Amino acid sequence: MGFLQVRQLRKRFERVTAVDGVDLDIEEGEFFTLLGPSGCGKTTTLRVVAGLEKPDSGEIYLGERCLLSHSQRVFVQPERREMGMVFQSYALWPHMTVFDNVAYPLRLRRVKAPVVRQKVMEALALVGLAGLEDRPAPALSGGQQQRVALARALVFSPRVLLLDEPLSNLDARLREEMRRELKALQRRIRVTVLFVTHDQIEGLSLSDRIGIMNGGKLEQVGCPEEVYYRPATPFARDFLGKTFALGGKVSRPANEGLEVRLDGMACSPLQVAATSLPSARGGAPAAGDEVMVAIRPEQIAIWNSTPAGIPNVVPATLEGVHFLGDRYEYTVSLGSVTRLLIAPASQVLKAGQRVFLELKSEGITLWPRSG
Amino acid sequence: MNEAPAAAAETPARSWTPRLHRGLFLMILLIGSMGFYILYPLVLILINSFNVATIAEPPVYGLQAWRDAFSDAGIWVSLWNTIKIAIVRNLLVFPLGVLIAWILARTNIPFANGFEFLFWLSFMLPSIAVTFGWMLLLDPNTGLVNTWLKQIPFLNRITFDIYSFWGIIWVHCISGLDTKVILLTPAFRRMDAAMEEASRMSGGSTLKTMFRVTLPVMTPALVVVFLLGVVRLFESFEIELLLGIPWGFYVYSTKILDLARQEPPLVNQAAALGSIVLLLLAIIIPLQQRLIHGRQYTTVTSQFRPKLVDLGIWKFPLMLSILLIVFLAVGVPILSVLGGSFMVRFGFFNLPKTWTLEYWQMALSDPRLLEALENTLIVAGSAALIGPILFSLIAYILVRTRLPGRSILDAICWIPSAIPGVLAGLGLLWMFLGTPIFRPFYGTLFLLMIAFIMGGVTLSTQILKASFIQLGRELEEASRMSGAGFLRTYFKIVLPLMAQTMVLIGVLKFLFAARGASPIILLATSETRTLALLALDQIAAGYRETASITVLLVVLLTTGLALIARSFGLKVGIRAE
Repeated sequence: MGFLQVRQLRKRFERVTAVDGVDLDIEEGEFFTLLGPSGCGKTTTLRVVAGLEKPDSGEIYLGERCLLSHSQRVFVQPERREMGMVFQSYALWPHMTVFDNVAYPLRLRRVKAPVVRQKVMEALALVGLAGLEDRPAPALSGGQQQRVALARALVFSPRVLLLDEPLSNLDARLREEMRRELKALQRRIRVTVLFVTHDQIEGLSLSDRIGIMNGGKLEQVGCPEEVYYRPATPFARDFLGKTFALGGKVSRPANEGLEVRLDGMACSPLQVAATSLPSARGGAPAAGDEVMVAIRPEQIAIWNSTPAGIPNVVPATLEGVHFLGDRYEYTVSLGSVTRLLIAPASQVLKAGQRVFLELKSEGITLWPRSG
Repeated sequence: MNEAPAAAAETPARSWTPRLHRGLFLMILLIGSMGFYILYPLVLILINSFNVATIAEPPVYGLQAWRDAFSDAGIWVSLWNTIKIAIVRNLLVFPLGVLIAWILARTNIPFANGFEFLFWLSFMLPSIAVTFGWMLLLDPNTGLVNTWLKQIPFLNRITFDIYSFWGIIWVHCISGLDTKVILLTPAFRRMDAAMEEASRMSGGSTLKTMFRVTLPVMTPALVVVFLLGVVRLFESFEIELLLGIPWGFYVYSTKILDLARQEPPLVNQAAALGSIVLLLLAIIIPLQQRLIHGRQYTTVTSQFRPKLVDLGIWKFPLMLSILLIVFLAVGVPILSVLGGSFMVRFGFFNLPKTWTLEYWQMALSDPRLLEALENTLIVAGSAALIGPILFSLIAYILVRTRLPGRSILDAICWIPSAIPGVLAGLGLLWMFLGTPIFRPFYGTLFLLMIAFIMGGVTLSTQILKASFIQLGRELEEASRMSGAGFLRTYFKIVLPLMAQTMVLIGVLKFLFAARGASPIILLATSETRTLALLALDQIAAGYRETASITVLLVVLLTTGLALIARSFGLKVGIRAE
C-alpha cells in the first residue's frame, strides 16, 4: 500500500481518452516520475491528482485520507489537498513581490506574521534565493522564478510536491544545474514528489521510480536502470533511448540455455540470459521462433580484432566514422544490414576496417519479430 | 510611379538624396494638412471663446463670452451633470462588466461564445436605437410598460419615467455594458490559468483566488478599460439629447448644441464651454496615458486551454441573468422599434386592426427619408473609401520609414480620439464659416465627410500600424530587390496584402458615419441631414412611427453591415490593445 495511491483513473476530453485506467502506488518520500511523450496523459494524471481536473472515474488516497472517489462521491478541492505544485510557466503572481508570493500559502492558513517571515526566509534560503525577497516577481530570471515557484510550493510543508515539467522552460545549462539541485533538495527534505516530464534524462537521473506512459496507459513502472535496460514494452524500449536491433532465430530454447542465431551472420549463436525476455511478454520462445535482439548501443564494445574467450562477438565492417566531440558515431554493416553505434572518443578506428562487436549479454533483450 | 529605375541604376550615389527630399516633402505635407485639419478647429474654439462677434463677422476680442458663460448657472450645471452621469454610470456598469467578462472567460457558463457575440451585437447597435426603443416602453404617458402597469392592481401607481436622471442612467447602463464586456473578456481569457491554479494549490478558495490573484493580475487591463470610460465621459450625446432636453436637463454637449442653435446663436459662449472641456481633457489625457503605460504585467502564456471555474448550482441562474441583460440591451430595443413601425398604434394589441404596413409605405415614399438615406450613403460611403487609403499611407510612413517628424504625426493622429464629437463639430463649423475660402463648402455633404474622416483617425491608424508591423519588412524588401520602386511596391505588394485590414477600416468608417450624430449635428442643414439626424428630428417632433422606420434603417446600415462583414470573416470591433 503506497502513501499516494491512484486507482483506475480515467479521464476523457471530448473524443480523446487522456487517461485510461492508471494505477499508481507512490511511497512516502519517493521521487516518482511520469515519463512519456506529449499527449500521453501524464500531465492530465498530475492535474487530477492535484484536483485541478475532475476525472470521469477513479480513486485517489493520500495516506488514509480519500481525496477522490467516484463511487463514494468524494472530491476534495485542490486547496484542501495539502499538495504543493510547481507549474511549467511557474505562474508567479506579477503583482506581488518574491516574499509575498512565497508567503501567500501561509497567509491563507492564517499563520502569524513573525512565523510567516521566518518560514518564507527558510524556504528562500533552501532554494538559494536569500536576499531577493523584496524584488517584484517578474524582475527575476527564469531560473530564479523557478526557484521562487519551488519555494512557494514547499513553504507550507505539503504532503506531496507536484512538478509539472518545471525544467522545460530553462536553457540547457541551467536545466542541468536545476536538475542536480532539485534532487539534492528532495533528498534533504524527503518530500514525496510526483514529477511529470517528457525528457528521459530528467526522468532517469532524478527518479527513484519511473512510470512510462503512452496513450493514457502506464506501460511500465520500475527503477530507472530497470526501465532503461529491461524495457517491458516496445514503446518503453524505443522511447527511452537508441536501440541496436538485429533479427535472428532461437536455436536453443530457454530451458537448455537460450541461444539465438543471427540472420545472415556467420558467427556462433548469441548466448542470452533468460531474464532478457521483456516481462510483459509472457512465455519463453521455442526453438525456431523468429526474434529481434535489441541492445542499447552503449552496451556494445568495439574491438579491433577477435577478442579471445568472450562470448557474443559479431564481426562487422566499419562504413563511416563521425566525430561528435566527446564521442564517435560509427556506421557499421553486418552482412546486409547497416546500424549506428556510439563509442567514446578513445579508440582510433578507420572507415573500411573490420571490427568485432561484443554484445554484452546483460544488455540484450529479446522481442518477437513483429515488435 | 514616376521613378526611373535605369537612371537610378546609373547614378546610385544621387538616388538617395532626391528620395529623402521627396519623403520629407510628403512628411511636411502630411503634418501640415493633418495638423491644420485636426488642430486648427480646436485652436479656433479657444480663440473664439475670446471673440465677441459671431461667426463670419470681423472678430472683436473681449472677455464677454467667458463672463456670460461664468454667470450663466446653466453652463456649470451642465458640466456637473456630465460628471454626475459619468460617475454613477461607471459605478454601476464597471463592476458588472468585470463580473460578466470574468464569467464568460473563466467559468463553465453555457453558451459563453454566444453571449460574447450578443454583447458584440449590442456594441454595434446605435445608441439612438437603444434610447428610442426604451422611450417607446418607458414614456410616462404612452410607454408600453407603463400602460401595462396601469392595468395591474397594486402596481398601477408605479410609473417609470424615462425622462429623468435615472432614466438616462438606465439607458447608459444598458448600452454601456457591452464595451466593457467585449474589451475585458479577451483579456481575462488570455490570462495564464496556472496563476489561478497555483493559488488553489496554495490553499486559496475560488473566491479568495478571484480577489487576491485574478483581479490584481488583471489590474492593468481593468485600469485601461476604466480610463477609456473616463475619457468617454465627454463623448455622451444622443441619450441626453433625447431623454434630457424634454425636461430641461443638459449635459455639456447638449448645452453646446443648445447655445449654438439659439437665435441669435451664442456660439462664443459655446466656445467658452468647449474650451473648459478642452482644458479638462488636456489634464485628463496625459494622466490617463501615464497610468496606462505605468504598469504592464505579462500575463500571456497559453500552455493549456484555461481551466474553467465550475460554477456549480450558480451556473443556470447566472446564465439566465446574463441572458436577461443581453435581452434588455439588444432584444427589447429592436423589438419595440420594430413594433413601433408595424403597429397601427404602438402597444395597442387589442385594436381591431393591430398591424399595418401603412407607415412603411408612407416613409418609403417620403422624399425627406430618401434624401437622408442618400446623404447617409454618400457620406458614409466616401468616408469608407477615403479613410483607409489616407490612413494606410500615414500608418505606413509611421511604421516603415525613418523620416523625421514621425512622432509629431503620430501625436497629431492621437488627438481626435480624445476630442468629443460635438467639440470637433463646433471647431469645424468655425473653420468653415470663419474662413472665407472654405465658406462655400458650408451646407454641403463634403463638410460632413470631413467630420467623419477626422473622427476615426486614431483607431484607424492604430489598427493599420499593427497590421504593418505584423506584415514584416521582408515581403517589401523582396519587391524592392526585384526592381520595383517605392510606389509600385506600395500598390502591388503592400496594398493587396493589407486588403483585409483596409476593408475592415472601410467598414468601421461606414458604421461610425452611418450612426454618428454628434460630430455633424452642428454642420448639417436640412438638405444634408443623414438618417441619424433625421431620426433625432422625428423623435423630437413626436413622429414615433416614422421615427421607428428611420431608426430601423440606421440599424440595418450599421448592425446589419457589421453582421455581414463578420460573416465574411472580418473581425469588426475593438480590441484591448
